[in-house]
Amino acid sequence: MASNSKSKWAVDDEEEAAAVALRKKERDERRRLKEEKARQAAIATAATPSSPSNENERAAKRQKTSPEKENGASTSTSEEGAHLLHFPSRQFGPCGHVDQFELLNNIEEGSYGLVSRARTKGSGDIVALKRLKMEHTNDGFPVTGLREIQTLMACRHANVVKLLEVVMGTSLKDVYLVMEFLEHDLKTLLEDMAEPFLPSETKTLMLQIVSATEYLHSTWIMHRDLKTSNLLLNNRGEIRLADFGMARYTGNPRPKLTQLVVTLWYRAPELLLGAEEYGFEIDVWSLGCIFAELLTKEPVFQGKNEVDQLSKIFALLGTPTNETWPGFRSLPNAKALHPVLSGSTSPPSLSASKFPYITNAGLRLLSSLLSMNPTARPSASEILSHPYFKEDPRPKAKEMFPTFPSKAGQEKRRRRATPQAPERGDAPRLDEQEFAGIFAGRADEEQGAGFSLRLG
Amino acid sequence: MAPISSVEYLSNPLVTSNQLLDLKNSERDNGLSVRFAQAQLTSAAGILLRLPQEVIAQAIVLLQRFWVSSRPEDREGFSPKTFSAATIYLAAKLSATPVAPRSVVNVYAYLTSKASPLLFVNPQGAPTDPDPADYYVSEGTYERERQRLFVCESVVLVGIGFDTRVALPYSLALTYIQVLGVSSASLARRVFEHLNAGLLSPQLLHLTHQPHALAVAAIYVAARETGIKLVEQNWWEVFDVDREDLGFLVLAYGSLANFAEAEAKKWKGIALSLD
Repeated sequence: MASNSKSKWAVDDEEEAAAVALRKKERDERRRLKEEKARQAAIATAATPSSPSNENERAAKRQKTSPEKENGASTSTSEEGAHLLHFPSRQFGPCGHVDQFELLNNIEEGSYGLVSRARTKGSGDIVALKRLKMEHTNDGFPVTGLREIQTLMACRHANVVKLLEVVMGTSLKDVYLVMEFLEHDLKTLLEDMAEPFLPSETKTLMLQIVSATEYLHSTWIMHRDLKTSNLLLNNRGEIRLADFGMARYTGNPRPKLTQLVVTLWYRAPELLLGAEEYGFEIDVWSLGCIFAELLTKEPVFQGKNEVDQLSKIFALLGTPTNETWPGFRSLPNAKALHPVLSGSTSPPSLSASKFPYITNAGLRLLSSLLSMNPTARPSASEILSHPYFKEDPRPKAKEMFPTFPSKAGQEKRRRRATPQAPERGDAPRLDEQEFAGIFAGRADEEQGAGFSLRLG
Repeated sequence: MAPISSVEYLSNPLVTSNQLLDLKNSERDNGLSVRFAQAQLTSAAGILLRLPQEVIAQAIVLLQRFWVSSRPEDREGFSPKTFSAATIYLAAKLSATPVAPRSVVNVYAYLTSKASPLLFVNPQGAPTDPDPADYYVSEGTYERERQRLFVCESVVLVGIGFDTRVALPYSLALTYIQVLGVSSASLARRVFEHLNAGLLSPQLLHLTHQPHALAVAAIYVAARETGIKLVEQNWWEVFDVDREDLGFLVLAYGSLANFAEAEAKKWKGIALSLD
């Protein structure tokens, strides 16, 4: 071993030619080269910046051919190393500065944190800058922010928002997440829509949301704050899951976790009942709430507080029993529920009357997502293979998705019904030509249909 | 090829040659010794804080990342000791076993006091009847130290670009041992000893190699030392490690004891300050 490892630094020009044949493995080689450079720098006692690269170039090629010398030209040796899986090599480095971005407008403040739209000064790309909440804690850098960065960095999925980098302001307290910018969030969009999404559109959206969730769960991440305002949508019908402020890694066996997660309206009953150990099912419950919201445009359980939230859930789904949810009475907060539980013996299960636009399969899916008993909820991967997504109307192609004016991109402003108060300054002079334009297109205008039939 | 995501989960960002060169050029004469001592200090503090080894390992790797990716001027404000405290605090915070800042400050006060069992702090060895007053942290000192700890934590985070996830070789190594059909307590123990020692290596092994390579190399060395026969073939290739990487790492693991001895000799009777 030792001699082999030592010999790689030896110079051998003959082998240069051999490298040409191995061009298809160029990528692997580059990686190896990098590593060797690193090694060289670590070991070499007096390496100058220029010499290692030269030596390494030879070393990388040298190494390929060494087995041939040892074992002769058998088939297996000629490809030694060729079949090895090479790991994607990432790098690390210090944070950049926020001044490489030019602030355009604030998108949303409040529960969302402070998110702004910004332009990258070099490339002109539009990004979203999220300022991390650095509320004064007694624990140094807020752990929620750390988890948000850690989980987002680990996520590479078409339906999870991309964290491009983390940058700093002038002080250590200014930390910004640079993310891809998306035009909409589902919440604002639903609020502004006259009609809910079509069944085919709902399916496309749900499929994307669930596949993002499935990805997270497969990498042991719980999002813990799934809701429509955390789901971003671009004008190509693509959903991105965002805001990982509550997300964290979990494990098996389940760690003890805080119950103060998930926005109240989307919070699963076991959390409301104070369960200390919970798992991916809480995200699935939120998915059910989102599904219902997509169908009706309204959040399905709008409780004012924890107790009210539970009673809203019970009103729609019936009260749990020992049969439907074994052991729920032993959860910490179950005692406080006694009046609620004894008072109402409302009939269980979702009724089609609340969700008129949905098929039986859809209703079955919804009621399984909104199972009171966490173990009765399907896993995210099970949802993806549910018959609801296979029956007609089929999910609409993303390219066929309608587009909407973007509030975050300030496109809304053009459509605003009431004009802004005039700003101080010179009174504008009216241009006659502008008036001429007003009635110009009149004749060409189409006499639109009085109504349009909404088809899946 | 497996999906990238699942592989990424087992991999770490690696150091670039320029980063290593920069570190080398910016480091003073006893830079190696300071880093070695700092890693030992971190390890000792983690043990006193009753942290799992994986948290300690993560702290040490984060510390190494910080060393190579930060500029020298970033490192000026704080001592190696504070950086060590900040990374162990940070690693614990991200784990399932967070620790209070007070505990961290206490432990580091103890480990750098006259009562410390660490030889580079007390070359003559710890006194047999240490005076608790030596490492008592008053409320005022604690407040000050805590603020420094928090600022230092942020400095570390910025220095490593907030990339705090560290993939470790321990569980991989156990799996590999099972796959090789040689699982035994003695081999597993020796493998873990090498992996733990590798954290202290001045060659920054966790920054130059992926966890699977570290695991394979540790198994190779440990099997030789414990006289356990492995299959004749190039078994490391099954685990996607080539001869080249294996050779380098085997040397690194094998030479660590010599390095530690040389360090001990170099600093015999002399205290190495990390303040």
